[in-house]
Amino acid sequence: MSHIHLPDGVLPIWLWGSGFAVAILIGFVLFRFIKKEELTRRLPLLGMMSAAMVLGASVEIVPIAYHVNLTVISGILLGPSLIFMATFIVNVVLALFGHGGITVIGLNTLTLSIEGIFGYLFFRLFWKILRRLMPATFIATFLALCLSTFSMIGVVGLGVPHYEELLHKNGGHGVFEFKLIKEKDDHHGENKEKGEINFKRFIAIVLPLSLMGWLLEGVITTLMTRYIHRLRPDLLKLEKEAR
Amino acid sequence: MIQLSYLDYLAVEGKSFLHCLSPGWKIAGMLLVLSGIVLLRNPSGLLLLYGMLLSLFFLCRLPLRIFPLTLYPLLFAVLFIFVSGFQGRFILLVFLKVLSGSTGVVLLLVTTPYPLIFRTLDRILPSIFVTALFLTYRSIFILINVLEETRHALYLRRGFQWRHPWRSLVNISNAFGHLVIKGIEASEKMYESMVLRGFKNKIHYRGE
Repeated sequence: MSHIHLPDGVLPIWLWGSGFAVAILIGFVLFRFIKKEELTRRLPLLGMMSAAMVLGASVEIVPIAYHVNLTVISGILLGPSLIFMATFIVNVVLALFGHGGITVIGLNTLTLSIEGIFGYLFFRLFWKILRRLMPATFIATFLALCLSTFSMIGVVGLGVPHYEELLHKNGGHGVFEFKLIKEKDDHHGENKEKGEINFKRFIAIVLPLSLMGWLLEGVITTLMTRYIHRLRPDLLKLEKEAR
Repeated sequence: MIQLSYLDYLAVEGKSFLHCLSPGWKIAGMLLVLSGIVLLRNPSGLLLLYGMLLSLFFLCRLPLRIFPLTLYPLLFAVLFIFVSGFQGRFILLVFLKVLSGSTGVVLLLVTTPYPLIFRTLDRILPSIFVTALFLTYRSIFILINVLEETRHALYLRRGFQWRHPWRSLVNISNAFGHLVIKGIEASEKMYESMVLRGFKNKIHYRGE
């Protein structure tokens, strides 16, 4: 749910432009923390986890049309620096299949990496506190998804004035130009109110769906972590911290 | 996503004029389409753009089987119907932007083999990023096979049943866990073989 499925041209240029700028800046800073040899060694793993995230996004759970992101589990396995690059790549590949626009790749990377990075941090934190794998994973996933969904809502909210402009701007005289505006000034005050109401409606639709998504993904990630812990406990790197 | 290998086949085997055009020109064309999508704010302009892209689709005689791929992103645009308060102009504008973007991207993917796209991107983007993108694309094909096998196994053993939601959820999660573990094992093997072939941070494409 934290993924912005926005098409190109809907968000204002300054918003998606700054999304790219901030994503590049964070990526640059995070890459300072990884040794070049380490990065080279882990590149195939990064590719594989990114591919798993892409495939996860393509498998829809039918009744609620929800797809898992697998970002938190990838964050736990890859660590905060690599998950950032993984989310960037996932968003590029998904954009190439029409799953979100190309111009919103930067913003999508930021919201999705919030999920991965905070998922990793929360998992380590709750593992230290609780010392129990399943509750630690579930709480970490739930909180990380919650954070990224609110950041996505924030991003969409920042574009509200632009949507109103798109809604009511009388741009050119095309074949299908609809004449909806009679009195421009009078209409503007009304539109402002309308735009506000519509954004509330957006939140009202997104939040209940998201809650279902957080719970579902929380359960799936928890069960996946349990499965991985049974078969390859070394991947979770818990030995040093546990017992 | 499952159609990926078919798209790849079309990109390699196709003989249309778009297939013959250099990948650089096609990427530049895609950027032009994107700028049109971002800058155009009237439905007639966007309709013209979409019409041009549709004409290219049919002029290249691409199979109709892949046409629904261009419509898929409309699913996500539906949310904007609610945001706009059911205003026709806005919905038309958003839908045309979505359709133009997806048709442009599908045209690029179906007429250009992916190593050529990555080789072109390698000239403008950091090579480590393009290498990771290439490895991801390659890994998707490996994981699709694992996913298909796991799905068949789940289906044959009645691993997914509406009457037993919790058991089904456990099985689905285990299937994803299996996918991740298989993926990690495959990545370890992939790294070893890449090192054996002299991999150093960068994949070199044919002709370089």
